[in-house]
Formats: sequence, structure tokens, C-alpha cells
Amino acid sequence: MNEAAEAAGLVPGESLADARAKAGFLQVRGVDAAADDAALRRLTLWATRYTPTASPWQDDNGADGFFLDVEGAAHLFGGEEKLLADLAARLDRFGLAARLAVADTPGAAWALSHFHHAPLFVLPPGREAAALAELPIAALRLSSETRNGLRRLGFKTVGALIDKPRAPFAARFAAELLRRLDQALGRVDEPLVPIVAPPLYHSLNYLLDPIVTAEAVVARASRLMQNLVHVLVRDDVGARALRLCLYRVDGAVETIDIGLTAPTRNVAHVARLIALKLEALAAMEDAGFGFEAIGLAVSCAEPMPARQIGLAPLPGVQSGWGHGDCAERCAALIDALRQRLGPASVRRFAPVASHIPERAEALTEIDGEASQLSAEENQWRTPERARPLLLLPQAEPAEDVMALIPEGPPRRFRWRGMTYQVEAAQGPERIGAEWWRHREPEPTRDYYLVEDDGGRRFWLYREGLYGRETHAARWFVQGLLA
Amino acid sequence: MTELPALSSTLADASSALRRRAAVMHELRRLLPAGKALRKEGADNILPFGLAALDDHLPEGGLSGEALHEVVPETAGAFPAAFGFIVALLARLARTYPLIFVLPRYERRRHGRLSGHGLNSLGLDPAQAILVEPAHRKATLWAMAEALRSAAPQAVVGSIDRLDLKTSQKLHLAATDARLPLLLVRPAQTLEASAAATRWRIGMAEAARDRFGLYARPRWHLQLERVRNGRPGEWLVEYDHVAHRFSLAAALADPALSRSASDRAFRRAGRS
Repeated sequence: MNEAAEAAGLVPGESLADARAKAGFLQVRGVDAAADDAALRRLTLWATRYTPTASPWQDDNGADGFFLDVEGAAHLFGGEEKLLADLAARLDRFGLAARLAVADTPGAAWALSHFHHAPLFVLPPGREAAALAELPIAALRLSSETRNGLRRLGFKTVGALIDKPRAPFAARFAAELLRRLDQALGRVDEPLVPIVAPPLYHSLNYLLDPIVTAEAVVARASRLMQNLVHVLVRDDVGARALRLCLYRVDGAVETIDIGLTAPTRNVAHVARLIALKLEALAAMEDAGFGFEAIGLAVSCAEPMPARQIGLAPLPGVQSGWGHGDCAERCAALIDALRQRLGPASVRRFAPVASHIPERAEALTEIDGEASQLSAEENQWRTPERARPLLLLPQAEPAEDVMALIPEGPPRRFRWRGMTYQVEAAQGPERIGAEWWRHREPEPTRDYYLVEDDGGRRFWLYREGLYGRETHAARWFVQGLLA
Repeated sequence: MTELPALSSTLADASSALRRRAAVMHELRRLLPAGKALRKEGADNILPFGLAALDDHLPEGGLSGEALHEVVPETAGAFPAAFGFIVALLARLARTYPLIFVLPRYERRRHGRLSGHGLNSLGLDPAQAILVEPAHRKATLWAMAEALRSAAPQAVVGSIDRLDLKTSQKLHLAATDARLPLLLVRPAQTLEASAAATRWRIGMAEAARDRFGLYARPRWHLQLERVRNGRPGEWLVEYDHVAHRFSLAAALADPALSRSASDRAFRRAGRS
């Protein structure tokens, strides 16, 4: 019910025909719960500019508002009253009429925001019972059956319930009643479900003038990182993942997640990654009227690895990223490449236990754990046979293959429009299909290492065994040797 | 006639100066080979071939470890050979730091993708390699420069189609500043001028075979097309992936003979 509806004399629960009679200009839309939900989430996300713990209301709270845990955040605004006033003014600018209340428990704050006569209200600590006493039963967030039951028994206000013996209520009503009462009075905890996991380390900066350029964002963010470094050093940890929140003047929030290969506390490195990410995302293109607040949070922190300083890298380290400085430089390089090119573009080779060439190796993305791979985990066996340096993304058919005998090596073949005269061939190396993978058995492959008269070396295979699996075997080029 | 002693003394001076000059020149000539050896030992940032014929030919006793080098396949089909040459060269380095391969995604269709087992069979530990696959040319250049600037890897390998003089100068400077080698595979067609320290043209050659006619070692026809402060040259080398060693191909002596021998061997092997 907004002001216009109240002015027209509409009441909740009225039939549509009555409402139309009272207000002829009325237009009707179906309820779009998903859009409502999304809008509430957006608003809640925006509200993380006040405090990292913001929790949108679920259905049991009416799904039309959110809780903010302002403990420890209010002093940034000069007190809870000032924070409320600021929040109300901003919501008003978005065209939202809000009722706000601050109390020691979420339940009391909910009750006061709904039923207190003042739209902005701050309850002094320890006064829940007195403040709730005169509010109606509905202030306890109860289901309609419980509410009706209480009304039939003559309980009108919360005050009538507060000091009554508990046993009769427990016997007659659902557990909900006493739970809600206790939650409102702070006798039991009511955990809030935050919209984003509250970060371990968080730093926020409100700007007097909105900023629009990427350089300004990076400069601000590096200052925030500098603030965080002190806390990180104190706890002896480094950031493994960072989240940069840019609060736009019009209420939208840009979140930028930055993953790091190794824990870091390096301000310059983080600033550079942010610059690269902004460049790649083009997040600055829709800055609108600019950003009025910037938050930087460490969403994942890990202990910094022990560092050995001043010794030369150990000789013969196999899966080596080196030690100390070099490992750090490597991690920094991989971070930068991943931010700009995307995490899937920077990979390393890992062997796979398979004989099928296209399956025998995998490219894995590099993250912190992978870069610390021990020698055993990333063990490449000594090669027994020559393997092509370059594998075609897919084996390509070789045409017009001529062989002296059907099961012999090829003497001539055509591939990509060129005919190659085979000078030397080596094989076959027979690789059977992995029958446990497929219901339909795949044909066996006979591989040949083939050299043409110009010295080009190919890796070809014939698919299918003559007589048993096929009558017209097909040939494929799978790789090229150096 | 008072000037006469003065004149004779000037003459004596001149003749002694001449003699001194001759002595200095002689001394310098004597030192020249020693100096060469000295320079080779002193300069640590070199990628040597370990093959006297090549190393002595190159002005620094190997490929400079802080410069841009271009490797060009002789024909489009020799791309794997050019790439193999680079891999072989890098496999000879100590395995301490990662190697960065910047291979654009758009070239994967044409040339195929780098294979870990392939690297392994050329003697390079795939665990040491980091594969970076940028989506476009600009990102490729950026990734190579970034890898050099970080000074983290041991070497950077890249592949790029077009490269103007200015960009190549930038890359060369980045390599010099980082004291890292940048090895670039270029397309087979004629190339524009570049700031690279060397340009190699790699052609394919018939592989070295063992006495059963089986493939043993790859062979490449190397042409040193351009080299700063040096002369171009041409070699037929083979590479042993187990010993990580380049050697001059033995079959050079009588190609006709070796061809027929290996041909016979191949037929025996093929039929078996």
C-alpha cells in the first residue's frame, strides 16, 4: 500500500471490482514473484555499502525488506541515527518509501519497523520488552493460525504474552510462538543469512565526488588494499581471492572477483590485476553517473607460504616453479595472464593414463594447488616411442591412400589437398579401443610414423582391422612430428 | 746545424713508435683467440647448441639469451620442424624455471595443438611448460611482452603472423631488459625487416634411422639467414632427445648411399 492507494481509500484484501469502483484509473498486473525477488536482492546487494552483512527477507519475514547488521559499522556514519537518515534519504532518492528501525535483535527491529509510529526509529539497547509491549501480536512474525488462536483467547498485544508462564503456550500453540517471542526479546539467537558471504577482511571507501575513470578506481582500490595489508600482516595471511564492489550512484553494484594463484599482500600486484580486469571487462563503460563508494574484500585468505630468502634455487627441481622470489614472480605472471585472457587460456600439461592419443593428456587450469604439484603427481614417463609434437585438434581423414597390401603401411596419401609420397614408414603400432568407455566398440587403430620424400613426418592411423572390424578401412592424419 | 740531433731523436722516436705499434698489434693478434674463449666463458646468458660448428660460427658462442630470435619454416609444411628446433634448443636448458608457450588459439586449427607427449619425446619436461592461448593477435603480443616483463620464466616461445619493425623492436627491448630469450615462430612467406638478433630458416630433412631402419632422431636443415655481427651459415643437424645433443648429420658424407640403405631398411621394417 503506497500513499496514492491510501489516498484513494483502498484496503488490502479488497475485491478487484470494489477497488476499480473506488479508483477508476487502476491498472492490474499479475504478481511477478521472481522479479520482486530479484529487485530485493539487487537492493540488498546495494545495501552492503553500509555493512558487509546484509540479509534479504525470506517469505517468513514478508519478503519485502532486508536486515543490516550495523554493529561496528554505524560509527562510520556518526551514529545509528545518522546511518538511518542517510539510508532513508538514499532510498527516497530511488523512489522507495522505507520504514527503518534499529534494535538489538532482528525480531525487534522487524516489529518496530512495521508497527512503530515513526518511520525511522532507533531503540536504545536493552529496551526490547518495553518497546514491544504495546505493539500488536502481528509484530511477532507469526503464522495466521497462531495469530487467530491468540486473538480468540484475547491476547491483543505482545506485552500480554511477555511475562505469562510459558508452559501453557508451549502446550497450546506451535513452537513458533515462543521461538518468535524469544527471538524478538533476544533470548535466542536469530542467525541472519547474508546475501553474500561476509568477507573476512573488508575495506570500504565513500567518495565525496563520484568517480568514472578506471584509473581512479584502481587508485582508490590500491588505497583500500593498503588498509587491508595491515590486517593481513597482523593475521599472517595473504589474499587468495578478492572481491571489488563498485557502488554506482543510481544504486547498481558492479562486483569484480579476482582469483590469485598464490596468497599475496602485494598492493602493486593487486592494483595491476584490477586494472587488467577492468580493461578486460569493460566495466567502466557503463559507469553511468559514476561510482560513489568502493569496497574491497578479501573473500578467501590463506596463510602465506614460508619463504626461503637468499639461497639459489635448488638444482634438479623437476616440477619447478622455482622457489621464493621466482615462485612469487611466476604466480604474479599467471595471475596477470588469467585476468586479461581468461582463466581457461593459461594451462599446463597433465598426463592421463590412457593409450588413446587424444585422451592421453589433459590441459589443466592453473590454480594455487596445481602450481604446487609435486613431482609424483605430474610424472611424465620416459617416452618409449616418438610422439608427434603437434596434434591436430581432430584427426583429419587422409584420402586416396595407397598401400601395397591392405594391412601394410601407406605408400601415398592425400591430406589437405596435397599428395604425399611416402619414403619411409614405421609401424604398425596397434592401439586398441577402450571398450569400457563405450557401449558400441570403437575400431582398433594401427598407427604409422610416416616420412614423405620432403622429410615431413606424419602420424597416421588406419581405423579398423581388415576382415574383423571393417572391409574398407579409413585413414586419418592425427599429428605432425618435428 | 743545431736541429740535427733533435731531428735524429725525432726519427728515432718515430721508428720506436712504429716498432711499439707492431709489438702491440702482435700482442693483440696473439690475444685474439684467447679473448674469444674468454668472452665465451664470461657471458653466462647464452643458449649454446653444444655443437662446435654452430657455436663457433655465432658471434656470441651460441644464441644470445637476452634477445629476440626468429625461427621461420622453409615451407608452410615445415612448421613442426621449426617448432621442434625451438623445443630441442630449450630442452637443453636447466630445468628450474617454467617455459611460457604463447600459441594463439586461432592457429590451432592450422598447425595443431602442442602435445605434452610430443614435448616429452623431444626431451622437454612438459611439467615445465605453461601454455598460454590468447584469442587474438593483440593479446598474443601482450602476453609475450607480459611474460618477458615478469622475468619469471626461463624463456618465452611465441608464434605470430605479422610483425612490423617497431613491434619487433619493442619485443627485442623487452627481452633485453628482462635478460630472457624470446623465440618467435614466424610464417613461411618472405618476412619484413625486424629487430631480431638472428633469423633461422628451418627445413625438413630425412630423419636419422637406426640400423633396423627405425626412426631414431629428427634432422633439420638449418639456415642462419641473418645474424647481428656475424655471417649467415647453413647446416644439417640432428637432435638426440635422450642426450639433449645436437650433432651434424653423419649421412652428409654420401646422401645417395644413405638414402638407398635406409630405403631398404624401411622396406624390411614396413613388411614385418
